[in-house]
Amino acid sequence: MTRPTAKEIKAMADVAGVPVDNDVAARIANSVGPAFDAFAAIAGTLPFDLEPSTFVVVQTEKAAR
Amino acid sequence: MKTEPALMSLTSVARAIADKQVSSREVTQSCLDRIARWQPHLNAFMAIEAEDALKAADAADAALAKGARRGVLHGVPLAHKDMYYEAGKVVTCGSRIRRDFVATTTSTALQRLKDAGTIRLGSLQMAEFAYGPTGHNVHYGPVHNPFALDRITGGSSSGSGSAVAARLTFAALGSDTGGSVRMPAHFCGVTGLKTTMGRISRAGAMPLSQSLDTVGPLARTAEDCAVLLRLMAGADPADSTAISGPIPDYAAATTESIRGLAIGVPNAFYVDDLDEEVASALDATIAVLRREGANVVKVELPDQRQLSAASQLVLAVEAAAFHKRWMIERAQDYGPQVLMRLQNGLAIPGVSYLEALRWRGQALAAHVAAVANVDAVIAPVSPAPAPTIAESDVGNSPDAEAVIQRLTRLTRPINYLGLPALSIPCGFTRGGLPVGMQLIGRSFDEATLLRVGAAFQRATDFHERLPKLP
Repeated sequence: MTRPTAKEIKAMADVAGVPVDNDVAARIANSVGPAFDAFAAIAGTLPFDLEPSTFVVVQTEKAAR
Repeated sequence: MKTEPALMSLTSVARAIADKQVSSREVTQSCLDRIARWQPHLNAFMAIEAEDALKAADAADAALAKGARRGVLHGVPLAHKDMYYEAGKVVTCGSRIRRDFVATTTSTALQRLKDAGTIRLGSLQMAEFAYGPTGHNVHYGPVHNPFALDRITGGSSSGSGSAVAARLTFAALGSDTGGSVRMPAHFCGVTGLKTTMGRISRAGAMPLSQSLDTVGPLARTAEDCAVLLRLMAGADPADSTAISGPIPDYAAATTESIRGLAIGVPNAFYVDDLDEEVASALDATIAVLRREGANVVKVELPDQRQLSAASQLVLAVEAAAFHKRWMIERAQDYGPQVLMRLQNGLAIPGVSYLEALRWRGQALAAHVAAVANVDAVIAPVSPAPAPTIAESDVGNSPDAEAVIQRLTRLTRPINYLGLPALSIPCGFTRGGLPVGMQLIGRSFDEATLLRVGAAFQRATDFHERLPKLP
């Protein structure tokens, strides 16, 4: 997982239907970059069968004493 | 009654009204008098509904005279963050876009408080669409900290923190998606409860992030938060994420000793790079908890930076999705910083968003394993006390996101894990600024947090200190 570039962000925003100019795209890249960096160790490593709903299972069955 | 009624705690004033030691009108008028004095300095209220509040108070007094007590908070006046829908009322959500939005339904949390007998003083200021941690609002002006008017309140529940601290309302609903209850509680010297994801229905509360949003009260004491939580908690047909099951007697928990409870202190992240006076307050708080009989031990938590990053990815995408239509049609009506943060969500690929959600269960399981031997974890809410309004007014400048992330770095991981956390006042700086600590608990174990918070408040008086008018 690598942080998106300003050019890539501009293309993504266009596809999303909310176009942004070059300056905004550069600012977004600067803002979200650290989150991508910090999550890089997790991204691409999760097991195949893991679903988002496991959170609720853990929350209700394991987390509460 | 000699005491100014508005200075009483929620539970004390509710008892006093029930026992007819004071009328709801006297209590309501006392709050309105304080609002009239403080509002020009604080900007904590979005709307003040004095006439309607007094009418409702008279009705509550008349009902009580006939023996008809509506509930445990009969005749108690409250005001809440202006994002809880109440049918027929304007709910601005702190925005220009919803300046004239009139709700057609009433939020479940608010309805449950009304069913308990509360009456409405008005509505409270907040960050635009609850998307800001400082208390700035370009549309309605910043909210000011009652302990130092040039300082921020924290956000996004800025009016809630400010109004409770100045004793303008006995309590207030806030919401916590990345720290929005705990931050104002910390900066303003009040008690704030971020509830477990699923504990209180979010139906009729303005959404920001469906995976992270939680409803929670700010009040003067842990006991007051306990009473409010008991009233609001539980399943709701209008919100499938609100869990069913027994609701503990939280108020009873606040009377118990903490002797023998194990409190964990993180050995990293939460204790790194702290302001010296926040670090001292943490040490002093730990000492009080030890004196009260708790066993304080070190805990090693998983990498909190990863949790924080996952939280950012989820929040950015979900907020952008909720706001997409207005981002297209009414971009000019957003404040620059809020629009900037909403645009961040456009840069997160769908796969990254889903990975952040898929990891959540594993991350919670790892946290549960790390804290298996403790009943709660204690940590600072923010690395420093309240900065000035001027120095934190970063707008949409290039380093704005970094400033925001620094301010909220100690609260965001808890939202990702969906855990409950109670912020309690635990000291003041030499300059008179409040400092708070968060007690972080197990999922759905708010009772233990309230128990520890109440024990701490029996042993200290930080929660009783009053700000003074300039």
